[in-house]
Amino acid sequence: MSSDGVNSTRRKFLTAATSAVGAAGVVGVAVPFVGSWNPSAKAKAAGAPVKFDFSKLESGQMSVVEWRGKPVYVVNRTEAQLETLPGLSSKLKDPDSLNTAQQPPYITGIDRSTKPELLVIVGLCTHLGCAPKYVPEVGVLAGASWEGGFFCPCHGSKFDLSGRVYEGAPASANLLVPPYSFEDDKVLVIGVNPEEV
Amino acid sequence: MSNMLVGLRDWVDARLPIMKAWNTHMGKYYAPKNFNFWYFFGVLSLVVLVNQLLTGIWLTMSYTPSQEGAFASVEYIMRDVDFGWILRYMHSTGASAFFVVVYLHMFRALIYGSYQKPRELIWIFGMLIFVVLMAEAFVGYVLPWGQMSYWGAQVIISLFGAIPYVGEDIVTWIRGDYLISGITLNRFFALHVVALPIVLLALVVLHLLALHEVGSNNPDGVDIKKHKDKAGVPLDGVAFHPYYTVHDLQAIGVFLFIFCGIIFFMPEMGGYFLEFANFEHANNLKTPEHIAPVWYFTPYYSVLRAVPDKFWGFIAFAASVAVPFMLPWLDRSPVKSWRYRGNITKVMLVTFVASFLILGVLGVWSPTDARTTLARICSVIYFAFFLLMPIWTSMDKTKPVPDRVTTDGGIGFWGSIAGLLLILALTVLPLKAVAAESSHACGSIPCEPFVADPEDKASLQHGAKLYMNYCMGCHSLQYARYNRVSEDLGIPEDLFEANLKFDPDVKMGALMGNAMDKGEAKKWFGAAPPDLTLVSRARQPEWLYTYLLSFYKDDSRPYGVNNKVFKDVGMPNVLLELQGMQECAPGPVKAHNGGVKRDPLTGADILEDPCGKFEITFAGEMTPEEYDNAVYDLVNFLDYVAEPMKSDRHRIGIYTLLFIALFTVFAWLLNREYWKDVH
Repeated sequence: MSSDGVNSTRRKFLTAATSAVGAAGVVGVAVPFVGSWNPSAKAKAAGAPVKFDFSKLESGQMSVVEWRGKPVYVVNRTEAQLETLPGLSSKLKDPDSLNTAQQPPYITGIDRSTKPELLVIVGLCTHLGCAPKYVPEVGVLAGASWEGGFFCPCHGSKFDLSGRVYEGAPASANLLVPPYSFEDDKVLVIGVNPEEV
Repeated sequence: MSNMLVGLRDWVDARLPIMKAWNTHMGKYYAPKNFNFWYFFGVLSLVVLVNQLLTGIWLTMSYTPSQEGAFASVEYIMRDVDFGWILRYMHSTGASAFFVVVYLHMFRALIYGSYQKPRELIWIFGMLIFVVLMAEAFVGYVLPWGQMSYWGAQVIISLFGAIPYVGEDIVTWIRGDYLISGITLNRFFALHVVALPIVLLALVVLHLLALHEVGSNNPDGVDIKKHKDKAGVPLDGVAFHPYYTVHDLQAIGVFLFIFCGIIFFMPEMGGYFLEFANFEHANNLKTPEHIAPVWYFTPYYSVLRAVPDKFWGFIAFAASVAVPFMLPWLDRSPVKSWRYRGNITKVMLVTFVASFLILGVLGVWSPTDARTTLARICSVIYFAFFLLMPIWTSMDKTKPVPDRVTTDGGIGFWGSIAGLLLILALTVLPLKAVAAESSHACGSIPCEPFVADPEDKASLQHGAKLYMNYCMGCHSLQYARYNRVSEDLGIPEDLFEANLKFDPDVKMGALMGNAMDKGEAKKWFGAAPPDLTLVSRARQPEWLYTYLLSFYKDDSRPYGVNNKVFKDVGMPNVLLELQGMQECAPGPVKAHNGGVKRDPLTGADILEDPCGKFEITFAGEMTPEEYDNAVYDLVNFLDYVAEPMKSDRHRIGIYTLLFIALFTVFAWLLNREYWKDVH
């Protein structure tokens, strides 16, 4: 063995080139391994948009629709219930829904909806994920006056009829509004933004 | 930055001898400089091992080890999991590739005497790896829970029933049930993914530690440690790293090129890597017509079948796997490599390899008397090679072994090709003599040719329309999803939903099941109409195409029709209104080679088969040509639905192969640069 003719520049170049191509190959091989962790067609089918006919939902009533394994509350709010909303601002942590992570951009205003009477929210408390109860009766709740809304039995977080969180509650954010749109005057589609229809 | 890395390395090295380990196994492991082609397969088996471990781990993430869920979960991986089909084909092709490289690696040891003193332990560990690998492959093959999984397991486990007195109890104990069931599947899953891989890895480590302790053999069988320079480096040795790392890199490139070629262009390898019958769900009441083990077990399986007795067959089978363990002590030759042995060794080696290959081929074929005789002859040669080795190696005349390794020894490239051709001739000629197959692939007639075209969207759309209108009522496609079919075929979802999906309550993302009650269906047709998602893979498209063209009038059957391909099938000719009614007419007898028997004088066809051709007695809505095209489209659709990723597979395959070719060129240049000064 001799080392007379070693051309170290060539060696370095070829080593670098082979390593670079090899590294690209490793990245290529990683694609199926990483990609296979994405939701499968089965998961996507289970998480597909859900349709709900709200025409039979009476005024003041709430229905629970399952979307991606989560309870989605659909409430047909009465005029009286809607009128309570403006007066609550001072008692709420985020009355104007400034935390944009909690609703799609097209959900604005104190009613947090696209059709004012129809509230659509994910029924999971933003504190630790329990399902809040719908308590529409006006009166006293847990020792304080109550205009109607959602009450989480786990740690006592309170939300108004737009899903906005009250001051003094352990939860910090308003209830999440899922993407939704309307197929026609009767059918609500949960999971699809309006512009995608 | 590099200072920090060096610092970290030294910090660890002071606590864990990483530099010493590196030097022992790579940087200062001196391997003979005359390694040839045969020395690539050890490294390649490591590459395959890593492939099997990684893809195997990923497959378990989506596989369901249960009798109810196993088969469907494999199809779930193939269809619903992103890139799942690549992972599955990598694993299934890897299993066969593992045996290819391991067999070639063992052949290398055989011809160069790599098992001889002082390398006996390396050989023993290697043989243990081989046996564990066979067990691993066997239990792994049961997991997809297809027909071959089930009946292969049935046959192999039943082997243990040959043991006197306790045999049947052992069989029941292995199964954990009175038949192969989900209980068996579950324990095989545990063995396949946890227990056996751990044993395998431990054995690989032992194999390598033992090798690096005594050093590698070489094609001359010369001990390179006899001649060292002042620093103690063997004069005929080169450091494994970088010389053999760059050397092996080009082999890895070539290997991956072939490996990916199979994955992307022929993953079933004509039914040898993925057997066709295994695309049918396990059925404990019906054995597939032709049952053969996967190719890598067939030599031993042939030995088993050659013995006309259950117990002694089992013993011969076990002995055929066990006897190579004794190789280091059976070989009495003072010389390692065949290069310096006499003609007896050469004749024995060539005969042995040819016999082993013949046994392999016979194990795939169904047995006939002539084939059994050939299998017996080859089994005797197999055992004689090993058991008479002490005699013939002592008798053989050896040549003087050179003092130093040679780089121009052996028979060279053309000599190797000649040797390969000699072995192939010795393998093929006896097989030709017993080859006569007697049955047609399509029932009583030869198959019509059929070439699927997954790119022909118009044909697929038409096929889908026919399927949904004429077949879906009885035959579900329960592993396919509506939205995938509509997307792949280029049919807009709303059009598909309006015209091709008949149950409005079922979502587009759902599996394409149907509402037919299995029990009721059995009463109506005598057998429940099978799910057809995978029928094109289980039966092959040419069979389907011929079958659908071969209904004819037969008033003795409940639906007034029979079929030339599938005699007495329970299915009515649902396409009757399109095709019209065919009736038997005297026609020519088709010879096995597909030709037609003719009168030697007049040249006219001999019309001696009463049902040699069909005549249409009342016409359907389509002309015969239109009907042929419609059936083509229908079968083309079934072929698509059996493997919806086929066109993706081809497309990705081309890019992958081009990339690997590029890598191989760089690896080849790099190797040439390093080795140009090694003489």
